[in-house]
Amino acid sequence: MTVALNVANVTVAFGGLRALDAVSIAFEQGSITGLVGPNGSGKTTLVNTISGQYHPKSGRIRLGTEDISWLRPDQIVHRGLARTYQIPRVPPQLTVREVISVPLTFVAPRRASTLEAMDEGGIAHLCGLGKVIDRACGRLSVTDLRRLEIARALACHPRVLFLDEAMAGLSHEDSTAVIDLVRRIAAAGLTIVVIEHVMRIITELCETVVVLNSGQVLRAGTPREALSDPAVREAYLGKGFVL
Amino acid sequence: MRSWGARIAIYLLVLAVGGGVAYVNEPFWVQLLIGILISVILSLAWDILSRTGQVSLGSAAFFGIGAYATGLLAPETGTTLAWIGAVVICAVVAVLLGFLTLRLRKMYFAIATLGLTLSLQVCVLVFSDWTGGSGGMMPPLLMDGDPQWQLVAITGFVLLAVVLSDYFLSSRVRPALFMLRTNPGLAAASGVPVVRTRVLVFTVSGILAGIAGACYGGLYGYVVPTDVFTLNWSVLPLAIVILGGMDTTLGPLLGAFLLRALEEVARYYIGGVGYQVVYGAVIILFVLLMPGGIVGLIRGLRAEVAA
Repeated sequence: MTVALNVANVTVAFGGLRALDAVSIAFEQGSITGLVGPNGSGKTTLVNTISGQYHPKSGRIRLGTEDISWLRPDQIVHRGLARTYQIPRVPPQLTVREVISVPLTFVAPRRASTLEAMDEGGIAHLCGLGKVIDRACGRLSVTDLRRLEIARALACHPRVLFLDEAMAGLSHEDSTAVIDLVRRIAAAGLTIVVIEHVMRIITELCETVVVLNSGQVLRAGTPREALSDPAVREAYLGKGFVL
Repeated sequence: MRSWGARIAIYLLVLAVGGGVAYVNEPFWVQLLIGILISVILSLAWDILSRTGQVSLGSAAFFGIGAYATGLLAPETGTTLAWIGAVVICAVVAVLLGFLTLRLRKMYFAIATLGLTLSLQVCVLVFSDWTGGSGGMMPPLLMDGDPQWQLVAITGFVLLAVVLSDYFLSSRVRPALFMLRTNPGLAAASGVPVVRTRVLVFTVSGILAGIAGACYGGLYGYVVPTDVFTLNWSVLPLAIVILGGMDTTLGPLLGAFLLRALEEVARYYIGGVGYQVVYGAVIILFVLLMPGGIVGLIRGLRAEVAA
């Protein structure tokens, strides 16, 4: 097993609040990992820390063999770690093609590029945006904006990709299409981390699930194991809740 | 964004107008065009900066630095080196100010750049042994003071500004700048080095504004602080870009001519001091009725014809 991304003992504090408390997770190369947990459990803080928006108070984050704990977000993208944002503000006058072109222009392709057809057209097509590639972002549907966010992240030539609620608010059909897309990307050898509230997506997609609660790793394992754990149920649903 | 044909048409238009008027060499038109073209350079400098989301009220600061730096350096170094030195000084000030104001957004950035303008005016008065204080100083004459050749030189600088503006609107750069303006976090997550890009654009803009100032100082070889370090030169590019259209190269070009025409018409028909009120009111009307400027209006009409 090769570890693509290793989060070791990471603590992030805002004032007195420990948003992440000694979190350790090893993400295996080529795996799809689900990151779940109730609101405020630290999922987004973890993504923001790994992608360089915050820096850990203690602990280390390694991408492959390199310590990225103190790099800037754009440097981390250049090292091969990309992330999506939940509802990003994109310039309304730019077209889909132009948005995808930004990372393609600024991030040099990796030699072991895992996806074919890594140009604007290829990525747009892969993400189901082929028909709207020349449409301005201000005129895109919410579904297409979410697809565009995945496309933009893919255009960063990542080795590790974080999808932060990339499927929230999508219809059943649309999220199924995105699930297929994520599978295809993973098959190309990328390491993917999916942050989701929708359990169907987690159980369908992920081999491993990490459950966060109050900034700590509560449980890690297969979706079935993790989600049937009484402690996980309690964290999500409260004590004494019976399905 | 635009085709090469449209770009080259703009270059040729600038060359034809500047070269044509210089060739005919009618003093009134030469002076008028020189004034307009200096404001074109300043406006393009302002627009380039605004594409990264930085709304500057500091044009006058760089304009004044350009005029004063050439004046301070010329006696020591000669004219050519003085101009190069002025460009370097503008770049250094822009880099320093760029880093200082990195975290400032929108209004706060505007106020910081406004502060630079006002404090430089005070500095010039305080260090009067050096700058000549309120008595002014003498920058080197541009083209030995020959208006015909001054117009040719300034046309050349306009072309430089136009080419730089087009570079920052090219398909490689424009999307990154607009992303930086709308959502800096998203730009960083797309691999754009946010700090470096902002400071670079600020520096290019500062250098262009400084060149405009050096041209202005070189027209008669005499400037006073109240002539260059004034709000006029900070507000003028704003008015021109709003009239002509933001995020374009053609906008500041057309806007500068239109604003000057408006001013002259108002002066002719109303005269006195009252003309400035009418002139201001017309600008406000333009902002309200044509938020995209002339270029926006043309694009809108073209889209309607196409539809």
